[in-house]
Amino acid sequence: MRAFNAELSKLFSLPGIWLAFLIGVFAPAVVAALDSLAQKEEIIAGVSTRLSEVGYIGLGFGVQGVIILGVLAVSSEYLTESSESGGGQQITTSLTVVKSRFHFLLAKAGAVTVISILLCIVAMMTIVPTTHLILGEYAPAFEWTRLIGAVCYWTFTALLALGMTLLTKNGIIPLAVLMINSSVVSFSVLLSKITKLAFYLPDRAGLEMFMFTSDKFHTPSTGSFFDRFHTPFTGGLVMFAWVVVIFIVAAIVFHRRDAAS
Amino acid sequence: MRVSSCRKITQILRAELDKLVTLPWICLTIMGTFILNLFLAATFTSAGLQAAAGTQSMLNIGLASMRYLQAGFIILGILATCSEYTGGQIRTTLTTIPWRGFQLSMKYLALAVITLPAAFIIAASGILYTFIMMRDTAVGFEIDTIIEALVGATGYLTLTTLLSAAMGALFRRTTPALVVLLGYYFVVSPLTIDFLPKFRSYFPDTAGSYMYIPPSADEINVLTPIQATGVLMLWTLIFITAAIVFYRRRDA
Repeated sequence: MRAFNAELSKLFSLPGIWLAFLIGVFAPAVVAALDSLAQKEEIIAGVSTRLSEVGYIGLGFGVQGVIILGVLAVSSEYLTESSESGGGQQITTSLTVVKSRFHFLLAKAGAVTVISILLCIVAMMTIVPTTHLILGEYAPAFEWTRLIGAVCYWTFTALLALGMTLLTKNGIIPLAVLMINSSVVSFSVLLSKITKLAFYLPDRAGLEMFMFTSDKFHTPSTGSFFDRFHTPFTGGLVMFAWVVVIFIVAAIVFHRRDAAS
Repeated sequence: MRVSSCRKITQILRAELDKLVTLPWICLTIMGTFILNLFLAATFTSAGLQAAAGTQSMLNIGLASMRYLQAGFIILGILATCSEYTGGQIRTTLTTIPWRGFQLSMKYLALAVITLPAAFIIAASGILYTFIMMRDTAVGFEIDTIIEALVGATGYLTLTTLLSAAMGALFRRTTPALVVLLGYYFVVSPLTIDFLPKFRSYFPDTAGSYMYIPPSADEINVLTPIQATGVLMLWTLIFITAAIVFYRRRDA
């Protein structure tokens, strides 16, 4: 528990964390507002096609905030300080203080999970009034199951970012890969044009927990961005499996690797 | 020290080139981008072949990976300037070269010298791969347009790298600079298609994309390649000037 508190305090005092909070809290609301404005014109014109996704799209993009959170949580530990202040890495201190590496990892993952859940709840609280304010009576009803799906998506993404950074020890690659992948021009979407296996990639499967309501196989297209492939539950399960696998690999590597190397 | 300004500049340029070449991450980034580009070109080509044989322009498919490719060059630009700040290297640099404006301009020049061939090879490899795979089905193959597109793509990637380097010098930390630039290029910019269609064509990435996308019937390019180059160059120069001004005034 003390390790967990320490991790929380380390995370909150990171210099780059304000960026994560800023993006995590405001980006979803801004995206949702812009999208609602665009949708409103379509509704008035009577051609609206994907009303059920209006607010949720903000949650799909706001995940960038927790990606930064997950990456920073680990990459800050491995940042080499300037030679004037000893050229050390924080990880050596952290591992001296917390005896078990497994406990250290667990505390870190716990802290990231808690913060990303809180961040997601705050983001939802900004999205719901925004869409209601703009769309009025047309605003989509926010169902609990989909909101819980969004929380899971954020948490899993943050943990994926954490696990990947633990493997690379450097924030650049996970940050670039995950940020591009959670944007409009995602690799997974591109790959899904070629092979069905791409539907099992973590972000594509995870998004189905709260997005992609159109079901090609049962109803004619309702104009959602992409068609549904999994049910929300299996989508979550697939993403959770990815998180578990990456975490096991990262834990083994972290356990066996020399901390200073 | 006013004696040999020319010699001074060549020496600074050589030092900056040396620093960039010996940075292990630069090499890794360029190679990683190269491999990623081939992989993406393969993906786009097979998607294009599946879609409808013979209907798509080979050049468009070869250049489709540019969107992703620019991420590698953004990283390259940020690494080049932010690596000075990770240790205390910046203080050594400024002790040996106490002319800050010169030093930073030479850094950008050295970066351009490295980026130019890398961008050309990477962009050309993507087009070449697509050409080899789609030789039989592709239509509309003209060597002139390919060369034009290739030059445009190289220029676009180089200018984007310089712009990212300027942003890196403004932020001085890798992560925020990376987040801001990737966030702009991959999240904010695609979203503005719906909301600011008028101004959007003057934003650095959209203007830049007109440098290499060949004009086609169904999509009208707002700017000609020359105009687009001018717009993007203006953006880059603004950011570089801002970076140099801040660099001269700020405590290192």
